[in-house]
Amino acid sequence: MSMDRSTSHEPLAPARIIVWDRLVRIFHWGLVLAVTFAAATGFLFPPNWLDIHVISGAFVGCLIVFRVVWGWIGSTYARFRSFPVSLALLRQHVADIAAGGGTRHLGHNQFGGLMVYGLLAILALLTITGIVTLGGVVKQGPLAFATSFATGQSARQIHEILAIVTLLMLAAHLAGVAFESWRSGENLVRAMITGRKAAPSGPVEPLATARPFLAAAILTMLAALVLTATIHLSDLPARGVPPVALDPTYAKECGSCHLAYPPSLAGAATWSAVMADLANHFGENASLDISTTTQLENWLQANSAEHWDTRAANAFRIANPADPQRITATASWVRLHQDVPDAVFKSAKVGGKSSCSACHRDAAIGRFDPQQISIPREARP
Amino acid sequence: MRMTLTALAFLSASATLAVAAPGPAQQAQLDTYATLAKAVDPAFAGFSAEHGKTLFLAKSTTGKPDTPSCTTCHTADPTKPGQTRAGKAIGPMAISMKADRYSIPAETEKWFGRNCDSVLGRACTPLEKGDFITFMVGQ
Repeated sequence: MSMDRSTSHEPLAPARIIVWDRLVRIFHWGLVLAVTFAAATGFLFPPNWLDIHVISGAFVGCLIVFRVVWGWIGSTYARFRSFPVSLALLRQHVADIAAGGGTRHLGHNQFGGLMVYGLLAILALLTITGIVTLGGVVKQGPLAFATSFATGQSARQIHEILAIVTLLMLAAHLAGVAFESWRSGENLVRAMITGRKAAPSGPVEPLATARPFLAAAILTMLAALVLTATIHLSDLPARGVPPVALDPTYAKECGSCHLAYPPSLAGAATWSAVMADLANHFGENASLDISTTTQLENWLQANSAEHWDTRAANAFRIANPADPQRITATASWVRLHQDVPDAVFKSAKVGGKSSCSACHRDAAIGRFDPQQISIPREARP
Repeated sequence: MRMTLTALAFLSASATLAVAAPGPAQQAQLDTYATLAKAVDPAFAGFSAEHGKTLFLAKSTTGKPDTPSCTTCHTADPTKPGQTRAGKAIGPMAISMKADRYSIPAETEKWFGRNCDSVLGRACTPLEKGDFITFMVGQ
């Protein structure tokens, strides 16, 4: 018997056919990678990893767009047509499973299909809210020219909730894959790597012809459009971000002892309090002649945090009534720096909480981009 | 002619060796402080680098607690750069190291005005200012 078999042309294992085409598999594992990076940098890593987070998010967005196009003109099981979702079909599927058998699904089963649509939708929303957050909160990216900080903050809250929901959905996805692999006896993870599943005994669904060149043409056009728009929009001045140049007298007079703090870092009340008491300026006499004092006060008032929409301006606009002159006494400053150990501020390299530029490389222009945070090596605990 | 040559030789030697001597602007300020000092005390007979040094190094308890001495920020060596309490570098006080020190009256007055109050808790007298600059000219 065994001799017969070994010489026979009949394969030992049942025939396996391609279910997931190459692009679906690249899409799937590419998405795994991009979402992993985005989740790790978003949930776990410090804020100066923002660039990696944004790049991962951009990859997620591109993959979603590809998948939508491929859902229309991809191969048989890639097409949305092959996994319709409806309440009736879901009920049917549940009843099938409950009955202990159920139809075999060569492509996505009902729950799998639902999860695909759900993940595509939530990842698209994550990408969109991410871009709005980047524009409004960090004042970077294609929407920075038009997005207010308040809008960015709302987008950020939604982004964070969606991210947690996504994690739950991914857990459900893995559980579903495990369950279905066990139920059907088909290793679904391997199937997503090799693309193959055991050929069904019955008739195979008629194959749809994939249109890779059409897809490439559509995606190239979309990419050119989106890329051009992104580059041009990102070049526009960001909304509510103060100009880089400081008043030269301010830069000279205030900058001779300390960082010439951009006026957008404090509210009008703080600047009034500071300028009214230069003779007792944080433990020193920093008096200026009347005309210079007036000139600088006017300039500070005209450029105080109330006039700008950066994250710092929004954060430090509200002074601490108990210590109105000190930006580092504001509730926002304390909250934003709560994870920084005291030893960092006390280190010789940093030299105190007032030395913004010791760790924020762009402090002098008042931007405080997350990517520009770098705690000096010597100051790290 | 011989006088001029000697003067020239002396000047070039000063320049080469960077021997500290007040420039015209610094001399003008010293003259102003001398006039004022004389107005306060007719017996005034010139500034003393030694008194200037004492003033520079002295510890004070009458000023603001964070700045008990000039040396808090400027270090005890006027030829070395100092550092503000906020961490910014301060150029050396000695004119041998920073030739444009004490050459703009408004700046000189601004810093004496601020720092005498911070360290001593009072304004410096013209005599003290002249002594201080005389000390720094020699450094």
